[in-house]
Amino acid sequence: MLDRIGRAAINGLGEFLYSLGFFAQVLKESALLFRRRQVGFHVLVMQILFTGIEALGIAAAMALAIGAAINLIGSSLLAEFGQGKLMYTILIVVIARELGPLLTAFIVIARSGTAIATELGGMAVGHEIEAYVAVGVNPISFLAAPRFLGVVISMVVLDVYFNVFGLLGSFAVVQLLRPIGFDEYFRSLFAVLTPGDLLSGFVKSLVFGIIISVVSLYRGFAVEGSVTEVPVAGIKAVGSSFTLCILADVIMTAIQYVR
Amino acid sequence: MTASPVIELRGILAVRGDYEVLRDMNLSLASGETLFVMGGAGSGKSVLLKTAAGIALPAEGDVLYKGKSLARMSAREEAAFRKASGFVFQDAALWANQSLFDNLALPARLHESSWGKAEVDRVVRRAAELVGYDQDLRARPAELSSGERKLIGLARALVLEPELLFMDDPTSVLDEESAARVPDIVDALKARGCSVLVASAVSEFASRCADSVAVLLGGTLAALGSYAEAAAWTDPRVRAVTGRLKPRAAAAPAWTEGLAGAWVNAIADLGNGKDGS
Repeated sequence: MLDRIGRAAINGLGEFLYSLGFFAQVLKESALLFRRRQVGFHVLVMQILFTGIEALGIAAAMALAIGAAINLIGSSLLAEFGQGKLMYTILIVVIARELGPLLTAFIVIARSGTAIATELGGMAVGHEIEAYVAVGVNPISFLAAPRFLGVVISMVVLDVYFNVFGLLGSFAVVQLLRPIGFDEYFRSLFAVLTPGDLLSGFVKSLVFGIIISVVSLYRGFAVEGSVTEVPVAGIKAVGSSFTLCILADVIMTAIQYVR
Repeated sequence: MTASPVIELRGILAVRGDYEVLRDMNLSLASGETLFVMGGAGSGKSVLLKTAAGIALPAEGDVLYKGKSLARMSAREEAAFRKASGFVFQDAALWANQSLFDNLALPARLHESSWGKAEVDRVVRRAAELVGYDQDLRARPAELSSGERKLIGLARALVLEPELLFMDDPTSVLDEESAARVPDIVDALKARGCSVLVASAVSEFASRCADSVAVLLGGTLAALGSYAEAAAWTDPRVRAVTGRLKPRAAAAPAWTEGLAGAWVNAIADLGNGKDGS
């Protein structure tokens, strides 16, 4: 029993250290991406197109619905306590600081995390990654770095987009309940918006983007030779990304609020 | 072989999970030599080739290219090694999201960045022609039969006219006509001094092209010698693998055109210090 626990701990530590090494390698190759001859610029563009541009629709729909729901729930609850003015603060905190980055991360995990892990897994099974090595292409530089940058850039931009649509959704509900002008609504929002809110959303989306891309790449590259490993890689990428993003969110929120 | 080795494997241990695929593997490929690695399914032929080509990393041991360890090569040295070598995968391993042309052009675009489109186009079409593929190169790999994919995989390895070629079961899934072309290609490569490491269980192919033969049994090197020695091996486990290797003079009529060809080969074998009888 102790032997098994010890062996599992050593294996876990080994995999953790290996994944840290992988992350460092991805960071290094990403920094060098544009200086290399074998620039995967096309891969980067395609990744931004898939992760960022093609997710705009679902992000907008989700943001509008969440913004509207927060406003509907918040206005009725806060009114009971005579704290209606807090609605703007709650909108900023919930959408810009918390739900914006987290829900955007969930969208990116569901779409791109699975896609990256299964695509790379499929390439590994078909020996395509080995073929890149054989002709002299560094797979981290050509396959991982552009996907990493594409997901991180898309994640940050999608978060901003999500925030805008979340606040627009809220505005739409305000028009139904208590019509006010566009200027007044956004002026009130910006009055409670602090640089800390913007920074918090930016840092979270950046961290989530890094987690999702690195985990998905790692899971995809870990596929060795069996087709049945490919969906497992996708499932593991989703599970690990969800867990790590939520864990990172809790830690970052605690750093902001626990004094 | 007295020539200095192009590729040398020293004390290689290759593992997959808890399973040792290759154990204590010591093997070298001399300049201009064609070495056939033979063995049954699961004997470790493919892993040996991938390890020798620096595609798979060994758990222990070292692989040297012209005396330089692959593990300790600088980026520039590794690029030179990749440019000088080609690898034919058992299952073609074409990049599915690229056209056939792009599959063939990538090595040229990567290693010959000064080449213009016309030069890349020329070497791509030459390689396709060499393997006998005359269909549209704008197609994707998924549109091809497995045999056609194999031909393109072979052509990709030949685009930059390598001085070192690794071929993993190059005749499998090919139709008769295409499979018959592969030994011609190997002969042409040998004629210009290319070193070739082939993993194959096809003894007719080895009879035609091998300078030397290595036999793998359960991940270990069971026998290694010149072709003439291989044709005379008597160990039953080894003979089970190389059973149909014939002494060159006897094998000649199957693949040479007439007596003159047999004499040319016999003389060549004598020149190499082999006992071809």
